[in-house]
Order: sequence, then C-alpha cells, then structure tokens
Amino acid sequence: MRLALAIASFVVLIVHGLVFHDQFFHRWERHQTAYFEQARSLSKNPRERAELEARAPHIEQIIVTSFGDTRVDRCVTCHIAADDPRFAGMAEPLKTHPYSAALGDVQRNGHWERRHKFSDFGCTVCHEGQGRGLDNFHSHGEDEFWPEPMLGYVTQANWRKDFEPHLKGAAYMEAACAQCHTQQDFAGTPHVNRGRKLFYAMNCYGCHKIDGISEGTLGPDLTEAGKKFKIDYLWESIVEPRANLDTSFMPNFHLGNDDVEALVIFLKSRRGVNFAETTLDRYKAHIENVAVVIPPGTAGEKAGEQLLADRACTACHKLRDRDGGIAPDLSYEGLIRDDAWLMEHFKNPRSRIPDSIMPTFRFPDEDFERLSAFLGSLKTPPAPAAADVTYQQLCERCHGEKGDGAGKVAWYIDPSPRDFTKQGFMSSKPRDRFVTSIKEGVPGTSMPPWGRTLKDDQVDGVLNYVLKTFAKIDAPSPKQHNVPDHNPVATSDASVSRGEKIFLERCTGCHGRKADGKGPNSLDIFPHPRNLRNHWFVAKVEDRRLFDSILYGVQGTAMPSWIDYGLSKEDAGDIINFIRGINPSARSEQPHASN
Amino acid sequence: MSTAPDTTIWTTLKELPSNVWSSIFRNPLPNTDLERSSTSFTNFFLHIHPVKVHRNTLRPIYTLGLGLISLFLFLILVVTGVLLMFYYVPSTTQAYDRMLDLRGTVAFGIFLRNMHRWSAHGMVAMVFLHMCRVFLTGAYKKPREFNWVIGVLLLLVTLFLSFTGYLLPWDQLAYWAITVGTSIAAYAPLIGKQMQFVLLGDTTVGQEALLRFYVLHVAVLPAVLVLLAAIHFWRIRKDGGLSRPQPAEAAAKPMVYKKVVYGLQGFVRGPFTKVGNVPDDSVYSWPNLLLSELFVFVLTVSVILVVSLLFNAPLEQPVNVMHPPNPAKAPWYFLGLQEMVSYSAFWGGIGIPGLMVALLLGVPYLDRNPKGVGRWFAKERLLANTLFLTLVTLNVIFIIIGTFFRGPNWTFVSPF
Repeated sequence: MRLALAIASFVVLIVHGLVFHDQFFHRWERHQTAYFEQARSLSKNPRERAELEARAPHIEQIIVTSFGDTRVDRCVTCHIAADDPRFAGMAEPLKTHPYSAALGDVQRNGHWERRHKFSDFGCTVCHEGQGRGLDNFHSHGEDEFWPEPMLGYVTQANWRKDFEPHLKGAAYMEAACAQCHTQQDFAGTPHVNRGRKLFYAMNCYGCHKIDGISEGTLGPDLTEAGKKFKIDYLWESIVEPRANLDTSFMPNFHLGNDDVEALVIFLKSRRGVNFAETTLDRYKAHIENVAVVIPPGTAGEKAGEQLLADRACTACHKLRDRDGGIAPDLSYEGLIRDDAWLMEHFKNPRSRIPDSIMPTFRFPDEDFERLSAFLGSLKTPPAPAAADVTYQQLCERCHGEKGDGAGKVAWYIDPSPRDFTKQGFMSSKPRDRFVTSIKEGVPGTSMPPWGRTLKDDQVDGVLNYVLKTFAKIDAPSPKQHNVPDHNPVATSDASVSRGEKIFLERCTGCHGRKADGKGPNSLDIFPHPRNLRNHWFVAKVEDRRLFDSILYGVQGTAMPSWIDYGLSKEDAGDIINFIRGINPSARSEQPHASN
Repeated sequence: MSTAPDTTIWTTLKELPSNVWSSIFRNPLPNTDLERSSTSFTNFFLHIHPVKVHRNTLRPIYTLGLGLISLFLFLILVVTGVLLMFYYVPSTTQAYDRMLDLRGTVAFGIFLRNMHRWSAHGMVAMVFLHMCRVFLTGAYKKPREFNWVIGVLLLLVTLFLSFTGYLLPWDQLAYWAITVGTSIAAYAPLIGKQMQFVLLGDTTVGQEALLRFYVLHVAVLPAVLVLLAAIHFWRIRKDGGLSRPQPAEAAAKPMVYKKVVYGLQGFVRGPFTKVGNVPDDSVYSWPNLLLSELFVFVLTVSVILVVSLLFNAPLEQPVNVMHPPNPAKAPWYFLGLQEMVSYSAFWGGIGIPGLMVALLLGVPYLDRNPKGVGRWFAKERLLANTLFLTLVTLNVIFIIIGTFFRGPNWTFVSPF
C-alpha cells in the first residue's frame, strides 16, 4: 500500500515537473533570446546594445482595432525582427518582413518606410492565421479547426492532397488585399480582378448571388464565401461540383488551373461587408444592381439580347457559341416557339413543360417581352446538310452522340429524351408516329416541332439515319393490335371512379398515387414512367395509342402488357376516362368533370 | 495544570511553533487507540469519518474506491474551475477568444482546461460506475434506500453539470452538442418546448443560453451538488457505514460491551452503531481509512495529470450558426439518447430515459429482497443484477454506436 502510494506520488511529482517545464520554457523565448544576441552583435550603437542587454523575453502583441473586430496579433513574439531591417538575410522566424515598392513601401534617405505599418495593420489582416496563438501549429492555422489558415502559406492536414500544390503562393493573399482595395482594376490584385471577370464570363453570376455583384438564386449565395469556406473547399467545388453534394447540378466548367486559382482568390475575397465599405454602400450597390442597365434608346430585340446576357440565360441554355450545358438550345427559338409560348413559359416554365426544372424568374413583364422579341427574331434555320450533320446539330444535345438518350443535357430534361438504341421500342411503333414527333414535337416535353426548321425530306433523312444507325433496323414493323380508335366506354362518373380504382390498384407503383409518374418504383426505371398529369401530352395522345400502351405494353420500357394481367378493354377504357378526367384541358371538353 | 506557564519572552518565542501547532491540531500523532479515536473525533476535516470502520469498508475490491474517486474528481473540478473562471467571460463575442488565450498564452491555461475537461468526463463515468457498484453489491437495501435515491439525483446533477459546461468554450462542438441536447429536451410532452425555452432563454442557442449555462455551471449546480453530496456522506454514517455481508457467526469475534463509555458517541445509537453486543470487526480510521483515501486521491490526481499532459481538450472552430457539422453529436454520455432519438424522438429522448430514471429511483422500494447485501453478484440477486446489467449494457452499446458508428446524416458507418 505504502509503496503504491509512493509511486503515485512520484508520478504526480514528475508530471508537475513536466508541466512547469512546458509552461515556463517556450520556443518563442529562445527565438527572442537569439534575436537579442544577434541584434547586439549587429548594433553599432552602445546605447542600443545596453538596451538589448537589459531586455528579457516577453509576449509581444499588436492590438488592431481599425479593421473589423478587434484583433490581437502576437505574431511578433516570434517574428520579433519583422521590422528590423538588419535581419533581411536571416532565416525565419528572425527575418525582416520584406520591403516592396509594390506594397507601397518607399525609400527615404536610404531607409525603407512601410506603407502598411505593422502597428496599424498587425499581421492577420493581410496574412490571416490565428493572431492569439504562440506556437506554429495554432498561430499559422495548421490546426484543421481554425477557419483562417495563413493565406497561400499553410495547407491544413485534412485538405485534399491533389489540390495542395495549387493552394500555395503569395497570390492568395490578394483575397485579403481586396478587403480594402476594392477597385475593380486595382493593380495589386490581378487574380481577384481576373476572378471577377471569370465570374461574369463563365456565367457564375446567373446562378450565384454575391451581394452587390449578382442576383442569381439557383446556387448557394456566395456573398460570404470567403468567410465561410477555406480555399481547399472552394477549389474542390469548382473543379468537382458534385464532390460535396451529389445532387448539385452545377456544371463542370473544365477550367484551367490558372482560372480556377483566380476564381478561388476572388471568392476568398468575398466576405460580406468588407473593410472599405459601409453597410449603406452595400445597400446602394444592391439597389443599383437589381435593375439591369439597358442603355437608353435600346429597344425590342437589342434590349432582349442585352437582357439575355445580363441574366446569364446561357449559364444553362445554348445560344450560338455559348452553352451552359443544362437546358435546351435557343438558337432556332424564333422558328420553333411562338410569342405566346415564350411568354407563358417565362412567367411559369411549368405551364408548357410540366416537369421543367427551370426556375420561375420574377422579372418585370417588360423584360419578358424584350426577351421574347429577341428570341422570336432567331429565325435562321440550320443550313441544309446531310442527315448525320443535322442530327449532330439539332438532336445530339439531348438524344446523345450514341442515340442512347444520354446527351449532355439529358440529365436535366424530364421526360427523358428517347433512347433510340432500344430496338423493342423503335420497331414496335409506326413510322408515322416518329415523323409526327419530329415534325410537330411532343407537347408537354422539351421535344420541339422541328418541322418548322426542316423540310420533309430532311425529316425523313434524319429518321432513317436514326433507325439505321442507332436502332439498327430498316423500318419499324409494328404489330397490329385489335384496339379501338376511340374509347368505346362512355365518359361517366361511374366509369371514371372504376378507372380510378383500377389505377390505384395496378398503376401507382410506377405512375404514383397522383399519377404524376413519381411512384415508388419510378426512380429505378428508365425511361421514367410517364407523368399522366402532363395535360399537354395527354391531350395530344389519341385513345388508340393509350389502349395500345395499356393493353399491349410499351416495348423497350417497363410498361407491361396489361392484357396478360387480366385487364379488359373496358377496364382500359375506364382508366383512360380517369386519366383524361384529371387533366385540366381535357376537363373543359368533357362535361362530367367540369362540375 | 496548576503551575503557571513560564511567560518570559524567550520561552514564549521558543515554544511558539509548538504552541501554534498544538492549538491547531489538538492531538499529537496518535500512539494509542484512545488517541487514534481522538484524532478522528477532534479534527474538523477528519470527523466526517467514524472513529472505527468495518474491515469490509477498506477492501479495495469491494468499493473499488469509485465514490471517493468521484469526490476527488469533483474537488479537482472545483479548484481548476475556479481558476478558469478568472479568465472566462460568458459572452458570445469573447468566450472563444478567451479559449484561444487560455490555450496559447495564459500560464498553465491549457493545462487547467485539460484537467477540467478530462476530470469532468471522468466524473460522469466514475459516478455512473459507482452506481453500478452499489447496485451489483446490493448496497441500496434497507436501511440505505434513501441514500441510493440521493445518489441517483447526484448522477443527474453530475450529468447536467457536465452538459452545461460543454457549451462554455463556444466552439462548433459546444454549440451543436447543446443544440442537439436541448432539442432532445424539447421532445418532452406538454412542457418540452417551454423547458427548452427556459433553458436557452431563446428559441436557439445564443448569448442568453451561454449566460444561463454559465450561471448554472459555476453557481447553481455546484451548490446543489455539494448539498446533495453532504447529505449523501452524512447518510452513509447514519445508515451504519458502508454495506457489508451479514456476519457469518455471532460469537467468534471479541465483543464490545456497553460498559465502555465513548463520551458523546454513546448517544449516537441507531440500530447499527457498534456499541452493543455486536462482534467488533472494525479497525481504527486513523490511519487505515485515511491512508486508503490518500492513496485514492493521489492516484486520481496522477491519472488526471498524466492524461492532461498527453491529451489536449478539443477546441474546434468558432461557432458558425449557418454551418452545422454533419453529423452534429451530443456529448458522449448523451449519445445513447441521441442514438435512441434517431429511432423515435419521444421514446428515445424522453420516454425511455424518463422510465429508466424512475426505475432507478424506485429500485430500493421495488426490490425488497433483503438477501445478498454486501457481496458482488450475489446468487440471491441473480434476477436484479441480470436486469440491471442488461440495461447498462444496452445503454453502453447505444453510446458506442452513437459515438463511433454514426456518420453524416446519422447513417451507419464503420470506424475502421
């Protein structure tokens, strides 16, 4: 017992010794002692030598009050020679902070004078890091929990190794410079300026909001990006938009490293209200920016073109050489859509394409009219060309290079573009239907009426090309099923409710309880089940096709042949009455549903 | 006595040290049993002890010293806590900066904080283990029922103390742990939301919450804990010392008879005082008990010191209300609750824990089987011990799952 007591007491004693050693012998004291010694040997002035002799190490700090929250910068505890020009050639931490004309330092009588005096600015205003710390790990911001590691000097242990080499370099400090030097062409911040230009040029502003710069609402607000995110995260978000959020629909812009760096530095400089402005400045800038400036005297088409650029429509859409890679091509909009369609679409994108993901923008009507006028003027049809070229020009963006319905924008289009490589589907539908779809488009979907840009022989050519190249069939050979052309079951409340009952029993697994095509199984099914509340589509489809699809299935899709599962023609008729009954345009034609 | 003291200056000075000493300590180091009794009895700090204690009390394997360790951890917490209070400011704008100063600049700051942090975690664990010890040795049985109840209350106060302290560094860890913890409280029926509001002084964790938690942490709860602990210790003696097995045969040991007079002790005659025809199986507190206590104290202090030297208390980034970590986790001792909450908010957060506490409080009144006291895992208590261990194991498993196996969005992840 007594031995154990003695051992435990000994441990307490030892630990106390260690703790006292740890707490009383600091590395910074060694640095300071070294500084005093070296300075004494460098000094030619006996009074200064005597002063240095008398100096004992203690914590040095600069309290900075002029730049935002009060900062306590103890960096000079180790970097005690930062302002001593004699130490220019020494090694860190006892090294003079470089003087540079680019930073505004001036030479007077052979002595440099700093423009940014440490006594006013401290250190972390420009370098970031943690001013209160007294050891490298914490004060340089190597601690992964510290939100502001030293800009361009320190990378934290949990940062991605493949980005690390890009994240070092004095250029990153420009983000701090820009807190005061906010002029857009300030010579000292070339990367910030370039990043700002890229922010416009790459259409970032279409989706992202930065107070005083842009008003986008689709992506995250970046007003305080520089405060919230570390450069590692910013870099990752630009080069791999889905790294943090699987469902992000931000495009990968495939920028070069220099551009990414400029954007990261620009974003790092966005920290809400910066030192140079007041909250009132910010508000004024906001007011000015909300109204897009149309040069006076510009009207109609021209104004629309300007708006289209200002509102970054091409951040998603394609127009001429600009392609956002998310939404349909606008190049032939004047041919394929009319004014009414465009206006309705602007005011509510889902009014014409019920599953469109386009946001509803709340611009003034006047702006929508200008945009319509401009788009309506785009009436130049594509130059006549061979079928495969036409396919590349008009179809490939949605239906894909291989015709498999996986074009670059397909992911964002609902219903999905048709997969032509599904032979079962392509061979089981009459040729007429394909021709109609191409010429007249498919209402309620993103398939436009190409008949207004292509001549009949061109349409035939493209269709033949598709059948031969992708479906690998010569011609469709649909089976003739015995289905009625018109629904023989009279529309009545009884029929509709019978139809609803069958629908709820048989169809909701895929088409959903609301018949919107979003049933529990729908996610795993390609193409996704049809949205039966897409009234544009439902109104267009004839009874015959509905009977055929319900009773004999749709080849190449998950829709089974329900006649095999015991549905009769009458059942199908009831279902069709039910489907037509839940779609508003059908309602006006069918007296029973209007009550 | 009759001779007047020699009052010459020289003698006065010469005898000054010994006079001061003997005025403070009435007894010299004891040599006889009478003096040993007297030492315990006349010293303010020592007279919390009985003059003699039963041998069973001193068996390390019986108590494992868990109660004492809890007490000593509390003392360490009070001392380090008071020192930390000199530097801490309960303000959302200053608290985190103060943490940085404590870590980087204040002499011994980081060490004090480490000791405080690890002692707090240790105290929660030790109080819990102490409860397990008391249950598994059947020590809560008559006449110690009420002391068990106080013990359960002490456990709750300890948990709450640790919980309130968790917020004070005002870093992400603190902020979101308290957000989660107080949200669990909000699931209580009827008064849940109000309770959360009273606790936070707001609908979210903010300046008001920080101030409230601070006051609770440094003033209210320690006071409550000291009071309850005082009653807890007092009751130990009034209930006849620590529990022990029934003596096997009555007459084997020497007896102490009524004729022996112990001064005031003679009046202290509950059913369990040793004055009477009870076999005397006890030893003098001085030095036996005292030495054991000293050993436990030094051991506790040395472990805490070593741990504090090796591991720094966590300090994450400053609070960012817009950026919850994913997952946001409560302090480890509430992770069992959070894990259960992920299955059912009400049952996991309020129902089951409430039931558990009620059960714990009621245990001595429900389990009235008088057998099996004073022995670990007594056969007569097979059912009770099994039930208890099952619940404890379940809770521990939930805590382990919550701590190590839960990733973003509370999905199951493997820590390996």
